[in-house]
Amino acid sequence: MEEKENILNILKQTKEAIKNLDVVKLRELSNQTIHTASIHKDTDNISVAIIVYAIGKIIEEQTKNKECTIFCQNASVYIDNAIQALSKDDLKGFKTNLEQIIKSVNKLSPNLKSYIKEVFRGAKIDKATKIYEHGISMEQTAKMLGITMFELAGNVGESKISDTPETKTVNENERIKFIMDLFS
Amino acid sequence: MPLQKQRPQAVKAQAVKTTQNVGRAIIFDSGALISFTMAGLLEELRRLKGIFKGKFIIPEGVKKEVVDKPMTIKRFELEALKIKQLMDEKILELPSAYGVTHDQIHKGADEILRVANSTFIGHGKELHIIDFGEASTLALSRILTQKGITNVIAIDERTTRVLVEKPDNLKKILGNKLHTGVTAKQENYKFFKGFRIVRSAELAYVAWKKGLVRLKGDMVLDALLYAVKFKGAAISGDEIKEIKRIG
Repeated sequence: MEEKENILNILKQTKEAIKNLDVVKLRELSNQTIHTASIHKDTDNISVAIIVYAIGKIIEEQTKNKECTIFCQNASVYIDNAIQALSKDDLKGFKTNLEQIIKSVNKLSPNLKSYIKEVFRGAKIDKATKIYEHGISMEQTAKMLGITMFELAGNVGESKISDTPETKTVNENERIKFIMDLFS
Repeated sequence: MPLQKQRPQAVKAQAVKTTQNVGRAIIFDSGALISFTMAGLLEELRRLKGIFKGKFIIPEGVKKEVVDKPMTIKRFELEALKIKQLMDEKILELPSAYGVTHDQIHKGADEILRVANSTFIGHGKELHIIDFGEASTLALSRILTQKGITNVIAIDERTTRVLVEKPDNLKKILGNKLHTGVTAKQENYKFFKGFRIVRSAELAYVAWKKGLVRLKGDMVLDALLYAVKFKGAAISGDEIKEIKRIG
């Protein structure tokens, strides 16, 4: 586990943000975790980033579905347990509690279950796009997050990542000339 | 040296070299194939192969990413089958078509991974930036070049391309986004020199320029370039404008 204190800090703030239904804060916290995940390829950081982002999305649904409120309350308890475990360097307990959040999705009603599973899938793709934006390759990123490159490529294409000035590397005339010559 | 003054052995060696030089290849990374597939341009890819005096190659590592793995996921099973069909039709071939073995690629890719993933350092740690499939396209390119086969790698993802073509830009990207000072082993940069890279966008341009695109009209080139951009090709709006200016 990399940067234990950082994860503890993120989880404590997450708990607070869930209590305040602060979706913006949850998104910020998730993105902070991504910096660490990009450097260390640490699966715990990635799991935290996905869970925090997904909870933010689920909170947005709370007004429409009371089950979402219960899910977030349960998630908050598991996060609290994860904080306690990590504080005592109980990594197994920490991971188990994070896993419980994902497993608790299976206890939801069928419609909500498929919705929240989709939220978690979307969270993975969103986090993968952020990691790719950090300069990590598409294949490496897809593997870290356990998604396919098809899923990642589509999302990357919809982003503005390719429009940053650093993306341009060689003169386009030169590239076109080379490929046209190769086809001659 | 004029040919008539060369010794017989030198003339023979040159003749062999000339014979070997006739080969040419396009090596596909996963992203470029994904862009073509998702943009519905596989027929254009077939037609490109039809006019190309060489082979379209995918290393095993790439096949795994675009065929084997997605074939097990219902959401992407169809796309995987379409790419597999291209392999069955020999539009796409494995490196064995050039007598290159998986072991040769593996060995080359391992070396590329070792150098690439130790070139940039952030927070005192080597940043692992690329993976096996990407490294295997570079390794195969190097092997084919050694065999005298002119080749280009079709890569749509940004990291590998920038590493090869302008590694200092990758250092900037990593530093800006990680909010930390990233240092680079600049002596590693020369290891990535000599590769030629295109994207699906440039291949789509060739298809358009050669009249291989099924759609006709003034807007087609723009539509093609944006289609592959939105499917993941790392090309900016400004670069698309440049291609359109070339026309």
